[in-house]
Amino acid sequence: MTRYTRLTAAAVLLILVAAALIFVYAPEDYLQKEPQRIFYLHVSAAIAAFACFAVVLVASVVYLRTDSASADRLARAAALVGVVLTTVTLVMGMLYAKAIWGMFWTWDARLTSTLVLWIIYAGYLMLRRLAEPGRQAARFAAVVGIFGFIDVPIVYFSVTWWRTQHPGPVIVNDALPPAMLLTFLVTMACTLFLAAVMVAIRYRIETLMDEAPSAAGVSLPSIAQHEPEPAR
Amino acid sequence: MIYLVAAYASAVLILGGYLAWSLRQLSELSRGADRK
Repeated sequence: MTRYTRLTAAAVLLILVAAALIFVYAPEDYLQKEPQRIFYLHVSAAIAAFACFAVVLVASVVYLRTDSASADRLARAAALVGVVLTTVTLVMGMLYAKAIWGMFWTWDARLTSTLVLWIIYAGYLMLRRLAEPGRQAARFAAVVGIFGFIDVPIVYFSVTWWRTQHPGPVIVNDALPPAMLLTFLVTMACTLFLAAVMVAIRYRIETLMDEAPSAAGVSLPSIAQHEPEPAR
Repeated sequence: MIYLVAAYASAVLILGGYLAWSLRQLSELSRGADRK
């Protein structure tokens, strides 16, 4: 059993603990009934995605300043995991919306800005796949990674800046009863751990691909093949 | 109830599928690196 398999097993175990809290411990919401339980993972996945995109931002700044291949790899890894988590947020959100509002989608500010966030980072990943490998592509992707993050505060504040169908913040407004708040906090911590494990695995994959791209049977744009990591 | 089940089933599918794919890719790459 490798270190990464053990980390994955730990993350899955923690998610099962969160699931027990969500389905057994947390009380049923008086108004929304059963579908309210979607909230716990829907919001946690969104927060974990924001954290991944923050990692892309920091790693991209570091890459532009130092030309570090490791920072570029970390940005690639975090962007992919961020897109996966945003997909979970959107899919769960659509099913939550159907249960509560009676429709899967509405073009309100929160939903639209989240979809834009997904498109920005999916575009970032596509750029990494399609662009000619090299320093130029990595630098361009870093700029996209930095400017793409502008949408994160827009997603977060959209419910206060504009009148939206999506509910406003419930955590900071102290709107959750203690049992629900505890369930949410545990779910969020477990999801953040899962996201960290996913980034660590992807970072290792990117490293191995940079070292031997032919072994993967795919050719990812890599700066490591073109330039050595600068001495620190 | 159906939306609750569908929401968590899709989350398990997306996250579980991604994790399984990543671990498989990692083990293939590690095996390739070990052979070198």
